[in-house]
Amino acid sequence: MSEKAVDAQGICKSYKSIHGKQSIVLKNISLKIDQSEIFGLLGPNGSGKTTLISIFSTLIWPDRGSLRILGMDAKSNKETIRSQINISTGKSNFPWSLTVQENLKHYAMLYGMHGQQLAGTVDEVINAFELEEYREMKFEDLSTGLKQRLSLAKAMLNRPKLIFLDEPTAGLDPEIALKTRKLIRGIHKEQEIPVILSTHNMLEAEMLCDRLAFIRKGKIVALDTPDALKHQLKLGEKVIVHYVGKLEIKELEKLPGVLNIIASPGKVEIVVDRTNENLDSIIKKFAEVRILDIKIKEPDLEDVFIELAR
Amino acid sequence: MSWQGELNKYLAGAYKNWIISKRNVFTLFELFFWPLISLLSIGLMTTFLRLGEQMVSFLLVGAVALSVLQVAQIDVAYVLLFDMWSKSIKNTFTAPVRSYHLIFGSLIFGIVRGTVVFTILVTLCYFFFGFNFLEGGLIPVLIFLAGVFSVAAVIGITVCISILTFGQKADVAAWSLSGIIMLVSGIYYPIEVLPAPLEVIARLVPLTYFLEYYRSVFIPGQHNLAIGIILAISYLILGLVLFERSIEKARMTGMILRLSE
Repeated sequence: MSEKAVDAQGICKSYKSIHGKQSIVLKNISLKIDQSEIFGLLGPNGSGKTTLISIFSTLIWPDRGSLRILGMDAKSNKETIRSQINISTGKSNFPWSLTVQENLKHYAMLYGMHGQQLAGTVDEVINAFELEEYREMKFEDLSTGLKQRLSLAKAMLNRPKLIFLDEPTAGLDPEIALKTRKLIRGIHKEQEIPVILSTHNMLEAEMLCDRLAFIRKGKIVALDTPDALKHQLKLGEKVIVHYVGKLEIKELEKLPGVLNIIASPGKVEIVVDRTNENLDSIIKKFAEVRILDIKIKEPDLEDVFIELAR
Repeated sequence: MSWQGELNKYLAGAYKNWIISKRNVFTLFELFFWPLISLLSIGLMTTFLRLGEQMVSFLLVGAVALSVLQVAQIDVAYVLLFDMWSKSIKNTFTAPVRSYHLIFGSLIFGIVRGTVVFTILVTLCYFFFGFNFLEGGLIPVLIFLAGVFSVAAVIGITVCISILTFGQKADVAAWSLSGIIMLVSGIYYPIEVLPAPLEVIARLVPLTYFLEYYRSVFIPGQHNLAIGIILAISYLILGLVLFERSIEKARMTGMILRLSE
């Protein structure tokens, strides 16, 4: 387990349009990902997450930089690496008129499986991903959730040592998305496979990832555990007060520790640094009004996302 | 990896093409309708023009060769076309496969379908126009078919390269390249009737020599089969090298990613 799952140094990538216009997608990305973690690439749409995950999965090559996957140089060991990794993409696509079983069989063949091993593995993933009922159903007739499950099943065919998931719950309804996340957690825990996933879903990143890299305009702007990211950005806790009466908002702004105030009639949200030290002086400012409700909310990744995406 | 595993990497393409084809009604058109229309049109024209036996054999050999070529070349191109149309190209190119797995796998299926078309057309030629394709024995037929299939593979590879280089719109090459081959390789006329520059091109197309060879069974004359074989093998090797390079280039330009979106 000493080798890094991914060791990328100075990865740059740009695309050229047909008219010759160049757009830079990734700028000098360096990243080391351990084999023991679920690592998240987080960022808004168009930030370069899919390009980066495509480079890590050796689907495309970077313009510059060095890349080692599972301890091997990506370019000179591409086939060995491809036989040891796999990828599942959100909004997955497979040949339409092939059934679930036929699709899995086809990809198992591409990974060089044969005979009993092939049949056994296909059956195994069909059972593991609860696709038995849909075995004979064509891909084009599957629901979005089932397509996603098929994509995950395909990604497990070759018993990968590293798995990439590109927006694994994109387009899924909340219930199926939750199920999928549990499935991903299960794959990581039970089979001890490092998982690298891209997402713009905060809840997903918070639920699944041990560490996160926040990508914005092709650059890593933050890299840490979800908790540490919240602290690094000094995102204060939110004190949300519902009240009746006249409140001097300007007085609140002057108080120590108050980072930001969002006020609306009868409600004020105060972003406070070190709430335990400063809460008392804040509450005192509400002496002239009647408090209906008071809540203290810890910052979540949504706040991190908003902060970093600015 | 065991040889069975390696073999399955080739067969994966044939397996996918087989399943898709058997569920697609247009496969029947590719296998029966168009080849039949083509053969009957040419055959009936020879009857109308009251052509002699040698001319009839000349045209029917051309018509059969073209139909077999079209079916086999599209099967080779399908290995990428089906993935591109279903936007699943990403799944294929993250698997540990090389250009030759994809091409030869789909060519196996192309050979099967091409042989079916050949058998049907040869039977029809015999019963409708009294022309026996097997008159010269099995060996010339096998050499002729090997030539047609190798040219089909080269055309299919060219289509795949075009798609990876120019994107989705290049799929038009799948249907137009065999038309160019028809024009310059002496399918319906001897290449000597072509304008000089086109005749030079015709001499670079291996099918020209395989047609000359097979026709020599029915119409005594010279042929340069050896040149055809050398050209076919050279193009096949060159095609595979260029296809492998175009895959790597598409990984650099990001075309593979764009074809999946």
